[in-house]
Amino acid sequence: MTSRPQPAGRNYQVALVALGVVYLAAIFAGFLAPYDPSTQSRDLAFVPPTGLHWVDMSGTIHLRPFVYEDGRSYPLRFFVRGAPYRVGRFFQSDRHLFGVDEPAMLLLLGSDGFGRDQLSRLLYGALISLFAGPLGAALSVALGLVLGGLAGFFGGWVDTVVMRAAELFLAVPWFYLLFAVRMALPLRIEPQEAFLMILTIVAVVGWARPARLIRGMVLSGRTRDYVVAARALGASDLHVLRRHVLPQASGIALTQAALLAPQYILAEATLSFFGLGVGEPVPSWGNMLAVLQRYDVLSSYWWMFLPGGALLAVFLLYYLLADALHERVAALPG
Amino acid sequence: MTRRLAALTLALSVVFAAGTDVASQQAAATEWLVSRADVGRPGGQLVVIERAEPRTLNPVVAVDAPSKEILARTTADLIHVDRETQQPQPALARSWTVSPDGRRFTLSLRHGVRFSDGQPFDADDVVFSFTVYLDEKVGSPQRDLLIVGDKPITVRKIDQYTVQVDLAEPYAIGERLFDSVAMLPRHLLETPYTEGRLARMWAVGTAADAFAGLGPFRLREYVPGQRLTLERNPFYWKTDRAGTHLPYLDRLVFVFVPSEDAQALRFQAGDADVTTRLSAANFEVLMRDRGRRNYDLLDAGPGLDYTFLFFNQNTVAPNDAPQVARRRGWFRQLAFRQAVSLAIDRDAIVRLVYRGRATPLWGHVPPGNKLWVNRSLPRPSRSPDRARERLRSAGFSWNAAGALVDKDGQAVDFTIVTNTGNTERIQIATIVQDDLKQVGIRVGVVTLELRTLLQRLLTTHDYDACVLALGASDGDPSTEMNVWLSSGGTHLWNPEQASPATPWEAEIDTLMRRQLTERDVQARKRLYDRVQELVAENLPVISLVSPSVLAGTTKGLGNLRPTIFDHHALWNVDELFWRGRPAGGTR
Amino acid sequence: MRYVWRRLGHAFLVLFGVSFLTFVLAAAAPGRFGDELRLDPRISPETIEAMRVRYGVNDSVPGQYLRWLQSIARGEFGFSIAYNGPVGPLLWPRVRNTLLLTVPATLLSWLIALPLGTWSAARRGAWLDRLSAGATTTLLGIPELLLGLGLLLFAVRTGYFPTGGMTSLDFDELGRWQKVRDVLVHLVLPVTALTLAGLPILVRHVRASVGEVVRARFIQAARASGVPEPRLLVRHALRTAANPLISLFGLSVAGLLSASLVIETIMSWPGLGPLLLDAVAARDLHVVVAAVSCSTVLLVAGNLLADGLLYLADPRVRPERA
Repeated sequence: MTSRPQPAGRNYQVALVALGVVYLAAIFAGFLAPYDPSTQSRDLAFVPPTGLHWVDMSGTIHLRPFVYEDGRSYPLRFFVRGAPYRVGRFFQSDRHLFGVDEPAMLLLLGSDGFGRDQLSRLLYGALISLFAGPLGAALSVALGLVLGGLAGFFGGWVDTVVMRAAELFLAVPWFYLLFAVRMALPLRIEPQEAFLMILTIVAVVGWARPARLIRGMVLSGRTRDYVVAARALGASDLHVLRRHVLPQASGIALTQAALLAPQYILAEATLSFFGLGVGEPVPSWGNMLAVLQRYDVLSSYWWMFLPGGALLAVFLLYYLLADALHERVAALPG
Repeated sequence: MTRRLAALTLALSVVFAAGTDVASQQAAATEWLVSRADVGRPGGQLVVIERAEPRTLNPVVAVDAPSKEILARTTADLIHVDRETQQPQPALARSWTVSPDGRRFTLSLRHGVRFSDGQPFDADDVVFSFTVYLDEKVGSPQRDLLIVGDKPITVRKIDQYTVQVDLAEPYAIGERLFDSVAMLPRHLLETPYTEGRLARMWAVGTAADAFAGLGPFRLREYVPGQRLTLERNPFYWKTDRAGTHLPYLDRLVFVFVPSEDAQALRFQAGDADVTTRLSAANFEVLMRDRGRRNYDLLDAGPGLDYTFLFFNQNTVAPNDAPQVARRRGWFRQLAFRQAVSLAIDRDAIVRLVYRGRATPLWGHVPPGNKLWVNRSLPRPSRSPDRARERLRSAGFSWNAAGALVDKDGQAVDFTIVTNTGNTERIQIATIVQDDLKQVGIRVGVVTLELRTLLQRLLTTHDYDACVLALGASDGDPSTEMNVWLSSGGTHLWNPEQASPATPWEAEIDTLMRRQLTERDVQARKRLYDRVQELVAENLPVISLVSPSVLAGTTKGLGNLRPTIFDHHALWNVDELFWRGRPAGGTR
Repeated sequence: MRYVWRRLGHAFLVLFGVSFLTFVLAAAAPGRFGDELRLDPRISPETIEAMRVRYGVNDSVPGQYLRWLQSIARGEFGFSIAYNGPVGPLLWPRVRNTLLLTVPATLLSWLIALPLGTWSAARRGAWLDRLSAGATTTLLGIPELLLGLGLLLFAVRTGYFPTGGMTSLDFDELGRWQKVRDVLVHLVLPVTALTLAGLPILVRHVRASVGEVVRARFIQAARASGVPEPRLLVRHALRTAANPLISLFGLSVAGLLSASLVIETIMSWPGLGPLLLDAVAARDLHVVVAAVSCSTVLLVAGNLLADGLLYLADPRVRPERA
């Protein structure tokens, strides 16, 4: 088997920069989004994307694109005043990157069942999902790395105990616990907070799968010659774990993380069936995708798929990043 | 030799003739109920979509809807309320008399009726059935329906075809009491009953020959997780006007499709003939595809369900937080509830959630309930201005940011809970949330799994407001006693009160109790009209919408007369037939 | 051999632990059986409470657990309150139906993932690799429910496949081979959905682990001055690449009863999934515990199998005293 040499780190840099841009866009969602994500326009429910035109009916080409509404044209304006928003805790503003004058509405990705702008919801919803996904993945994988690593490295009864515990965690139906947790949570907490708590529990409970995979790798790696040699030379267990064994398991860990982050973002779509997702009217990528799981939406409103494009792009970036990191770690000596 | 043969033949023919004579006498003895529907042709199979598997085929313990729907096709009652005319009709009882004080019913049973296994039906079966239903140890949910004046009814056998039923006090619904109370076969169930294992009989998966019923169909086959097939009951006691024995259909198949979207898809593909309880959204999808397919879609108009918003009006417990007491204080103010009702855009709910296939409500009885709805109730249109005016009159005001604050300057915000698994309710809550934002109230929407929700509503009373729906299967106010009586368990905003918390609740209590024993229909209507007035005035529930009943059937089903009452398409399944199809059915 | 006996002993411990923990969690969860009946105004709260007492719903957790154990000893595997009958007859047909679905789907996923992942790893950056990355990412981004719904939509629009269920209405009247064909036709869409849902994970892992080995070899070959012995390296390479894949295979086996929940519900496949979901919603405890226990058996078996294969593939994995 041959493989073409990859320019070292190029993929890594591209993925990192691209993800950075995405996260930045999520933080500045208020500025980039033309509307507040919960503003309902009840006469414009399930409206396909507004067309942007450059050529008007008389054939004149305009430099600035515009939108038709009731026969009149409304040009696209930049740095418009609109619904107020805040970035973080301190920065408040009502300037948006672009928009059109009322009564026209600029619905670049169409509207949902309440006439809410899908683009604004996509941007605002990015932050919670882009935070929750990697958080869940990191929790599961980190716990899996620690527990699986210990199990594989020490073997014997440590391995037995951890692996049997893993089986327990994999088998028990955790939705009961989730219902109980949701019940215990006060009704008045922010929808995002409730969701994050639920997700944290799901992620913590989900340590078992990564742990099993990592433990297998570590079991194999700990008897390698260099490990034996290092121990013979008096290196402590911790040192050996860190420098020799963990890099071996890192490949699995990264692959798992790149798989779990998207899964946790999408898990919200399933969790919301049980009332454990992000509640109305707060948007998130999970609950936007959940709307697609209705037959009438699926078969009638094609533009509701468009947020999926953004989702897929981010997933691809996670994958490229993980892949590139894997390459770098694998290239380390040892 | 020939003479002997002739004598034998003669003897045999005499015996044969006598035998047929006896048989035809017995057959003549059956008093058929003649259906007034169009005359149809026998044959064919009807495939019905059912949303879940039945949990049991035992009429005594069945509580879930799928079980009851299937049992309604395999069992029969003494007096049946015609779902189209809403009037009680003779069923297994061919006639009955009522004593002048309304406390004694004497029912004359139809002669010659047999169970689906051929065994005869008579008064012993009736007495046995009621004994079982009324036995506390058996614990049948039917028992609650047979308690009049706090005492169970008594049923006595007068002779083989006559029974006498005594009530402790006159009962307004009279003979409707007997509707849907399935008559049980004594010859099969008496032994298990005396041995105390009746409740475990007739579970799903029991062999078909262990069942016997008086309905138009009997069990043929059950395939777990997939379908349940019923076949024609050859001993059914109804015929059509031409004398053909009903039912026309050979088979009735219930297929189990747990997901609502999958139900619509299954019907659209033509894999099923009847689907009821379509959501408005899926109805629209099916409408668009109608041209290419072989089905009819039916909008039977506003049904009996009503969706509403209600606030927690339970008494504040001593150890509740001050915030809880404060919020409860807001909810208990009538002006607050009136303002909320004025602020809600019911038309938007009808348009966005139900695509126009619903009716806005201001009272809890929907217009679909033609016999009981109070048409003179006011219908104030949506007005955020008038809502603000009401709030001002109650001491609320707005702060600089536009948020509503109460007398003490605290911002008004609360949460609406509703259950998962019902997208329409969640959408309604989202619309209400946005409407109340317009008057400065911040509302959160929390969806909870159903039983978690009910725990909060009915046990811990730990909620602010809730969007929920109730639906009567009959429309008669007697079925809603537990909702409107202050001591009732379904008196959602403040259940199981020891004594009425407010004067209007006390008045409703009196009215509901009176209408239960009032036998004059007009007087009863007036009583219940007043109840509706009180509910609309005092807004313990803020009625929002009543969805229309939507169903779909394959084209060519004769005698199909959809109603808003359960079962919307199958209530007269014994009269349904296929037009223009070969008798054997195409599937 | 002693190792196997020890593992079996552990397996029983895990089973007990899981079943008891499930009981505890179910007791902690809000809501009890019969709650939804409170919304029916025709049933009084007293009747509902009497029902609960009769079925022992209000008993303590240890008491309920003990009763369940006794029921197992009798061979009933618990008593379903909702269905008013023993759990066993409810469960076995469903388990069989689910396996009928998941076993082909799992096999198919692996059969596709192994060559695809290996090829992608061997030719990193080539068009196949990029295509595979794009496809797996897309599949990862489609929730299972959406996948199922999409396939059903395809079935409705084209009419080539049934829109759910496992058998046709006239199944009983079919001949033997026709019956087989009927079930196969009904299997196509659910198996497709399950395979597509499980593929991204497998493909990515295969690619990653084979890719790692290829790289390591490449680096070693570059560092070593001589040509490494091909046979040794192939054995070494395969062993290392196989390691996570064997664990993954064990997890695939472990998930045979639990992975198809969503697909079964949307496609009306009469498996364990809809039964379990319904039982959770209805708080029908014994059914939940029985279903979970069945899953646990497969889970333990899958892990045991994986550990066995690991040992065979790489003797250095042999359990060693720490």
